[in-house]
Amino acid sequence: MTKMKIGFVIASLVACCLVILVSPPAWSQSSAPPLKIGWLAALTGPNSTPGIGQDRGIRYAADQINKAGGVMGRKIEIVSRDTQGDPTKAVNAALEVINNDKVEFTIGPTNSGECLATQPVIARYKVPSFPIGVVDSLIDTVKFPYSFRVSNNNTQWQESVLTYALKVLKAKKIGIIGDTTGYGTMSVNLSEQLLKAQGANITYKGLVEANQTDVMADLRKAQSSGAEVMIVWTDSAGLNSRLMNARAELGWNVPFAGHPVLGAGAVKPLLAKPENWKNVYNVGYRPMSFDDNGKLPEKSQKFVDTVSSAGVRLDDTMLWWVGLGVDTVQLIKDSVEAAKSSKADDVKRVLEAGKTFNGVYCTSCTYSPTNHNGYPTDDVVMNRADSFRAGAYAIAPGYGK
Amino acid sequence: MLVTILVAGIAIGAIYAMIGLSYNMMYSTSKVVSFTPGQLGMIGAVFGAWFIGVLGVPLWLGFLGAMGVAVVYGFFTELIAVRPVLKSIEQHLYVLTTLAAALMIQQAVAIWWGTDPRPFPTLFGLGTGLSSEKYWLPVVACFLTFIGLELFYRKTLWGAAFIAVAEDAEAARALGIPDVRIRVVSYCLAGFIGALAGFMGGQLLLAFFALGATLTFYGFVPIAMGGLGSSRGALIGGFFLGILQQTANYFVGGVFVGVVTFVVFITLLLLVPRGLFGSAVARRV
Repeated sequence: MTKMKIGFVIASLVACCLVILVSPPAWSQSSAPPLKIGWLAALTGPNSTPGIGQDRGIRYAADQINKAGGVMGRKIEIVSRDTQGDPTKAVNAALEVINNDKVEFTIGPTNSGECLATQPVIARYKVPSFPIGVVDSLIDTVKFPYSFRVSNNNTQWQESVLTYALKVLKAKKIGIIGDTTGYGTMSVNLSEQLLKAQGANITYKGLVEANQTDVMADLRKAQSSGAEVMIVWTDSAGLNSRLMNARAELGWNVPFAGHPVLGAGAVKPLLAKPENWKNVYNVGYRPMSFDDNGKLPEKSQKFVDTVSSAGVRLDDTMLWWVGLGVDTVQLIKDSVEAAKSSKADDVKRVLEAGKTFNGVYCTSCTYSPTNHNGYPTDDVVMNRADSFRAGAYAIAPGYGK
Repeated sequence: MLVTILVAGIAIGAIYAMIGLSYNMMYSTSKVVSFTPGQLGMIGAVFGAWFIGVLGVPLWLGFLGAMGVAVVYGFFTELIAVRPVLKSIEQHLYVLTTLAAALMIQQAVAIWWGTDPRPFPTLFGLGTGLSSEKYWLPVVACFLTFIGLELFYRKTLWGAAFIAVAEDAEAARALGIPDVRIRVVSYCLAGFIGALAGFMGGQLLLAFFALGATLTFYGFVPIAMGGLGSSRGALIGGFFLGILQQTANYFVGGVFVGVVTFVVFITLLLLVPRGLFGSAVARRV
């Protein structure tokens, strides 16, 4: 009996050892905690369209990285909070993911107004952040030393639009119009300042309310000033379409060049005639633009094929939003792996080392200790506003192949 | 250029005037300054666009549908937001209740219709350029509404009852006039007038959920200028405001339109506190 008991105990111990050796090492998984990334995005509400597109890219990239083994054995966990486009909610969300969820990185918020509110808060906690907004002051290596921008800034948009107006359209007299919001006013003033620095002749400058019902008088004034191109800065689809309709009613075929929303899908149904959209150019991105033969760059096409086959919808969003989401997560992964650490100072040091990140949207993202804006200015180009298909636009005439 | 400013100013002024008439209609029988007239304009534009542009129903049916929605909204405004607080009108609780009613319909439309402006269909396709129907339809609708109201008040028994309730609801009730029913009808009629502004001005305004706030704001200015309760005042105040806005926009820029409007508005009220056509009310001392 005693021998049987001893045999049973030994057999049980051997069995336990075998089970431990053969079974998946669950304990070892729990020893590698997930790499938590706070994702602050307007996913509902009036400003949610970009956030929804970027969300697809971020989740796709996280899934792909996790399937391939994660970041140094750590799975990426996206901790998402819907900010609804509200700066107050964005600040609360930032504090929550940093303090409660202990995220090591943040991406977003997804518009400049929210970013202006969250940047100082995130900077206080020394969490590396990747805001998605174009206002130049969001990136400041002194005030926000752990903050890096993957997307372009407002000056890059401005330079692209103004260069196109002066050098490609060869306009001598320029009109600038925008809405009376903070963004519209700031952009109109910045255009004026940059154009004056280049010695351009500004013949008309106007600000109109985004909901102004009739803009005939404003455009008539611009027309009588002799403007040869109109620079347009408003993100209101209603105002953009009213400007295009008024231009057609005046029989004035002056080119419009400006904000990306000039080419937004919401503009199309508001146009009195589809041809009112001709001769309108919205700012866009070379890697995300169809060439004269209607083809995307090879790398971008491959990206489209891959994400589409993975079930990511591209037909109702912008390709660059999805690409931006993918690039940001990939940049975090590359930086952590290069630094062999996810600590803020290590990641900052790696990013500032000047190594170029080759993404799909940000094809050559480079940072330095004095520059945390990574997007290359040459890749900010003009698109034909009426050419949207499959998430991208055709490049405007004048850029060559 | 002057013609462009005048045409656009008169068109938008007509819309403001009709919203002002809607304010007056509700105020006359309840002494409540409701915050819903702008939303009625929004209902006219959005539901007009939905019935005609999206569902493809005939113009007349789309018109009746949009007006019907606004009349029902007017009915419920009176029932839910006004009637329960009338007993304590001196506490001005109607400010909160009518504002809540306005915000509720705005948010509901935003969720259902979306937050981007959408096109309002061309109604008759008459005229081009400055003679386009989008400019003169609101003006025609405004004058017809004004004339219709004048005839209603002067020539019909119901109109006389309206005036009686507006003058003194308690005395009217003592004479056997059903003041509650009159008030309900006035809110339904205000719904019709407000929605008519949005429907006829839809081609200018577009079908947009946020129209209500703008129209509520700018629709109040004409009645304050012209005198609360005065149809003539609303009409003249509306046209004056529309032309003033367009002129200010052209000469001093869009940023200062609001400033110019309110400088003129405040100055006018300082000079004529009861508005241009407002009458002094005797107060027992």
